[in-house]
Parts: sequence; structure tokens; C-alpha cells
Amino acid sequence: MSTAAAIEARGLAKSFGSKAAVQPFELAVEPGAVTGLLGPNGSGKSTFLRMLVGLVPRDAGAVAVAGRALAGDGAAVRRRCTYMPGETALYKELRGDKHLEWLLRGRPRAALSRAVEVARQLGLPLERRVRAYSHGMKRQLLLAACMGPDVPVRILDEPTEGLDPTKRAEVLALLEADAAAGGAVLLSSHHLAEVDRVCERLFFLNDGRLLADERSDELHERSRRLVRLQWAPGVSAEDLAPRLRELGAIEIRCDEARATVLLAGADPRPFLARVAVDDGLPAPRAIVYGELSLHELYRDLYGVEGV
Amino acid sequence: MGRSYLSLAAAALAYAVILELLLVAAILFFPNFEENIEALRMMAGISALKNIMTQIEDGGVVAYVVGQQFFKGCNTLGTAAAILFAVGAVAGEVHRGTFELWLARPYTRARLLTERYVAGALAVVVPVFLTSATIPALCDHIGEEVEMAPMMLSSVHQSGFLLAVYSLTFLCSTVGSNPTRIALVFLFSTTFSFATYMIEQVTDYSIFRWTDIDDFMEICVNEALLPGKLAVFLGTAALLYVAALVAIRRRVP
Repeated sequence: MSTAAAIEARGLAKSFGSKAAVQPFELAVEPGAVTGLLGPNGSGKSTFLRMLVGLVPRDAGAVAVAGRALAGDGAAVRRRCTYMPGETALYKELRGDKHLEWLLRGRPRAALSRAVEVARQLGLPLERRVRAYSHGMKRQLLLAACMGPDVPVRILDEPTEGLDPTKRAEVLALLEADAAAGGAVLLSSHHLAEVDRVCERLFFLNDGRLLADERSDELHERSRRLVRLQWAPGVSAEDLAPRLRELGAIEIRCDEARATVLLAGADPRPFLARVAVDDGLPAPRAIVYGELSLHELYRDLYGVEGV
Repeated sequence: MGRSYLSLAAAALAYAVILELLLVAAILFFPNFEENIEALRMMAGISALKNIMTQIEDGGVVAYVVGQQFFKGCNTLGTAAAILFAVGAVAGEVHRGTFELWLARPYTRARLLTERYVAGALAVVVPVFLTSATIPALCDHIGEEVEMAPMMLSSVHQSGFLLAVYSLTFLCSTVGSNPTRIALVFLFSTTFSFATYMIEQVTDYSIFRWTDIDDFMEICVNEALLPGKLAVFLGTAALLYVAALVAIRRRVP
């Protein structure tokens, strides 16, 4: 395994009974960047992250985190990174500050000071018992514990889940700052719009398979070249596809009366003007252009329905 | 976690206090018991109880004391404590959803499990030794003489038994996820086993045959442990602990 990547996973696989939770793929996370692992619920994100830190034993493959190969139950790897679980259950009887102390047992004392600082920055009432915390506050407490230690890698399972937009922005800013300082951050999410602005690179999972590995800017560029055309029911987009190609479509995905078209350039206006005046095409009922949701991205770029 | 160890220590203290109160009451009652032992034996409806009375009559204050402290106190309260102290070790974390959080810190699973095992085991056996250590002084108070050494040897034997029960519950906690159900099954089973001790026809099937007055009297009279039985207790406990280590290694959050 190379030592340049902060996280390097090769051929990791995990099955639970007959269900393949993660199928083998390669993933490398560079230092100094936030990397996103995206996918719908049940796509294998959490299992993959747990395998990285040794919480779920792998069936096959190899992992190295911060230059340390995963072996045994992963304690050596967990010493070189922090991990924020997707589960939010905490010890409710503890106060926030005591809980941070517990979470950071085995770390240098400075980690606790830094975590307390982050928690205060996020406005967490550390003197209150965790049972009085909201879901979002519990997530922030876990995040603060994750940001405390001075480690080169942070692995976070849905760090923005349950947070309001303001807190979400604060959390993402923290992660960005950590990456800017040279750290590697790998986070999972099922909300593209929440994380893609901070992630330089995005890995898309579905059904345990790696669907795509894209640079965020390239993905945005591609999504800007997508146009969706919707005709009246009864019109077959499939029949119109050859004509759309002639008008400038590079790729076309058809679904009954809807066509998703990938254009060569980012400006759709010349193409749309040609569509509007073309005698061979019925007039579309709707034209959608712009940023994509995760659902649309999976459907329109990767051809996966039901996300 | 520090707080849960504090809770465990508090529970162990409560268990020790109850054991001691039972012991104090029993020892203070001894003169009266001794006077009326014949009448009490006549009143005992079950042959197993009659046997116990005979053993006490033959063994004197020592038989009475080991019967009260070990056969009655530790076998009932101690077994319950062993079950309750072990049952939440891992299943409790799974049940409240903190299992992943517990494992996610930079420690090996073996270390995390061993910390829990040792803390619980100490909570089970230390009160047995502490309360047994007060027996000579308490007996002195009623004008009877009981040596410290036989009481400590008996405590070792009793602790071996409790450790085996504790380790079995601990293993079930390591593979299970519902501490209440595990506790109920174990408490019911051990109560049932204690009840079978009292039934002449099936008494030999009771696990408490391994820690009854005969055993403790043998230890006290010979001032030596019962190596065969102790080896079974400690061997069982060690095997179950190793099985728990293997089980936790495979467990997925």
C-alpha cells in the first residue's frame, strides 16, 4: 500500500449472511481535503466506515489509515484517527464535559481541552446532563470529541445528520478548517447538497458497490450540463432520442415521457433553442436545468432508480 | 466508564452490607438457635433441612456459621449479585445503543472486556472475603471461637463457585443483547437449582451441591481447600472468560 494516501482501502468486502453489505472496491483519501462518501440509506456507507476503523471485521481486502495497516481489532488504527459513529446513543446520566472525558480516554490531555473548546464554540451546554440534550446536541458532542485529538485522519459517519442549517454550516466549516490544516476528513452523508460544497472528492455507493468516484468540481460541471425534458403523457422519449442526438445531446437517458440529456457545454440555451423550434419534436411540458439532488444525481447520472 | 465502575462499587458495597447484616443477625441468634436445635429439627418438614440441622448439631458454631454465611448468604445473594453484575457488561451496551461508542475508542476489545470482567469479578468476590473476615470477631462477641483461616479458605471455595456463575452470565452478556431477559433466565435457573437442593430425590442435580455445608465443613476441619472442586470452578470460569474474548472479537456493532 502506498503511504501518500491518508486512507487507503483495497478490495474491502463484507457480507452479513447472504447479503453483500460492501463489495470490493478501491478508495484513497488524500490528506488536506474533505472527502465525501455518499449514498442512500442502506448503501453500505456505515459498514464501510466501520471496517476502516476495525469495528466491523472484513471478509476480504486491506486498509491502511495514516500509514498504519489495519490489523486485529483495529486499536492501532483508531489511535491514529478519530471516528464519529452514526449512532447517537450516549450515556445519558453523564454531564457533557464528563462524557467528553470518557470519549477521549486514552488520548493525550490536550485532546480534551481542544474538544471542550470545539463544544463551547458550537454552543453546547457541557455542564448539563446528556439526557437533556437534543438529538442535534448529541451529534455535536460526538463531533467535538472527534475534533479534539491531534490526529491526521478523521472519519465521520453522517456528521451533519439532525443539525439545523446554521449548525450544519458551522460543522462543515470546522471540517474544512481541519482539512486546510493538512488533515484528512472522510465523511458520509445521504444529502449531497449538505456536503458537496466542502468535499473535494465524492465516492458514491449503492447496494454496497462503488458507483462513482468523482471530483466535486467535475460533478458540478457535469450536473450543469444536464437538462431534463418532460413531455405530455403518451409521448415516448425513447422515440425522440435520435432527434435529440442530432440537436446536440451527448448522452440521453429516457424514462417514458422524460429524457435526461447530457450536453457538451455548460450553457444549455443553444440546445434548448434548437429543441423549441424543431418541427420533429413535440413541445416539452417542462424543462429542468441546474443543480441536482442526490436522488436526481443517482437517477440521471448513474441510472440508479429508487434512491 | 468511571461512572459505571462507581455504580458497580456502590452495588458491591450494598451487597456486602446486606451480607454482613444477615451474618450479624444469624450469629447473634446462635445461642438461641443452639438451645432449641432439637425442637427446630423436629419442626423441619423437609429431610434436606433435617440434614442441615444434624450437620449443624454435629459441627457446632462453625457449621452454623458456614451454613449461614456461605450456604445461605453467598449462595443466594452472592449468586444473584454475580448474575446482576455480569449481565450488563456487554448486553447492556448493546441494549442502550452505546456498544459502538464503547468499542470506538482506541483500546483493544480484549482490554475493554477484561476491564469489565475484572471489575465485576472483584465486586462479586471481595464482599465475600470482607464479610467472612468479620466472622471470628462476631463469634467472639457471643463467646464462641471461630478461626480466621478456615473462613478465608471457605471464601476461596465460595468465590470460585461465584466466579463460575459470574463468567457464564458474562459470556451470555457478551453474545446477547437483552440484559433483562438474560438476568431473568439466570435468576430463575439458579433459584430453581437452589430449590432442587431441598428435594431429596433430585438434590444431587443441584449446582449448590458443590457449595453446601458438607464442603465447607470439610474445608474447615482439614484446613485445606477442595482442590478438585476449586479446579472445576476456576477452570470453568477461565474457559468461559476466553469464550467471551473470542465472542467479543466477532461481535459487530
